[in-house]
Amino acid sequence: MTVLTIASSKGGPGKTTVCQALGGTLAGELRLVALDADPTQALARWAGGAYEGPPFKTIAEPDETRLAHLIAAQADEADLVLVDTAGFGNRAATVAMTSADAVIVPTLAGEADVTEAEKTVRLVEGLARAARREIPVRVLLNRVRRTTLARHAASELEAAGLPRLSAALSDLVAYGEMTYSGRLPAGGQSAAEVAALIAELRALGWVPAAGLHPHVEA
Amino acid sequence: MKTLKARATSRPSPDAVVAIATAAAPSQPPAQLPQDRPTTLNVRLRESSVAAITARAKERGMTLKQVVCHALAEAGVKVADADLEDRTPRRRG
Repeated sequence: MTVLTIASSKGGPGKTTVCQALGGTLAGELRLVALDADPTQALARWAGGAYEGPPFKTIAEPDETRLAHLIAAQADEADLVLVDTAGFGNRAATVAMTSADAVIVPTLAGEADVTEAEKTVRLVEGLARAARREIPVRVLLNRVRRTTLARHAASELEAAGLPRLSAALSDLVAYGEMTYSGRLPAGGQSAAEVAALIAELRALGWVPAAGLHPHVEA
Repeated sequence: MKTLKARATSRPSPDAVVAIATAAAPSQPPAQLPQDRPTTLNVRLRESSVAAITARAKERGMTLKQVVCHALAEAGVKVADADLEDRTPRRRG
């Protein structure tokens, strides 16, 4: 149904963390498939190892041609196909962005992060023009602290005309713990942030409504 | 009169996606390079051959393996670039 790609041409802005938070939270509500196009297979390893929530199907595939076919096949069966990509410009990520119904570009507040986020957004815009279809894209600020730097990064994104999600993820230990414990944030600020992110994605139509297809495939 | 095409609304076919992505960003490398793992080739040679290769290696500041691989490459054998380099582990300091 919906293909949501998480991409950035820079490593380390939290693409896999966002996939883990979205995947683990939505797995009990939707038929969810996660495709891991990153050769490090961090998402697939987490989903098949540490992760303790409702099961969801995860497939690792860094080859761009096989990934394109996999996305098309899974999009026919799942309510939501989540695609995690590697943190550098590569063909699999470009294919995942071209196949997407929407793209989230996580970024940190540093200058290099914002610059690469802009490059990724521009690439998605170019791919949308080439494919002659809408591929909406938004930047997600990650590891945000209430600092002048974070405010500056937000203003830089605005000045560059980059569309940004209102939701943001803070610099919280809970997200790091999730990668080891396999448990999604159950309460507190982190759980509220993930819920706010999902609510915004639903409002945008990027994530289907809960409970449409309660079947969960392992 | 010009024929104006409507914008596509559905996802292109997988082959079209690959073609569009490749055309729009031609310089992108594959996410994962094909692996070319090291393996071992043992060769029994006459002492005189080994002495000759050793002398040539000393003369050129190369390893024995480099001398052999460079000669093979010059003869048209597809030798991996990594095997043409001196990759001898060296102690620090």
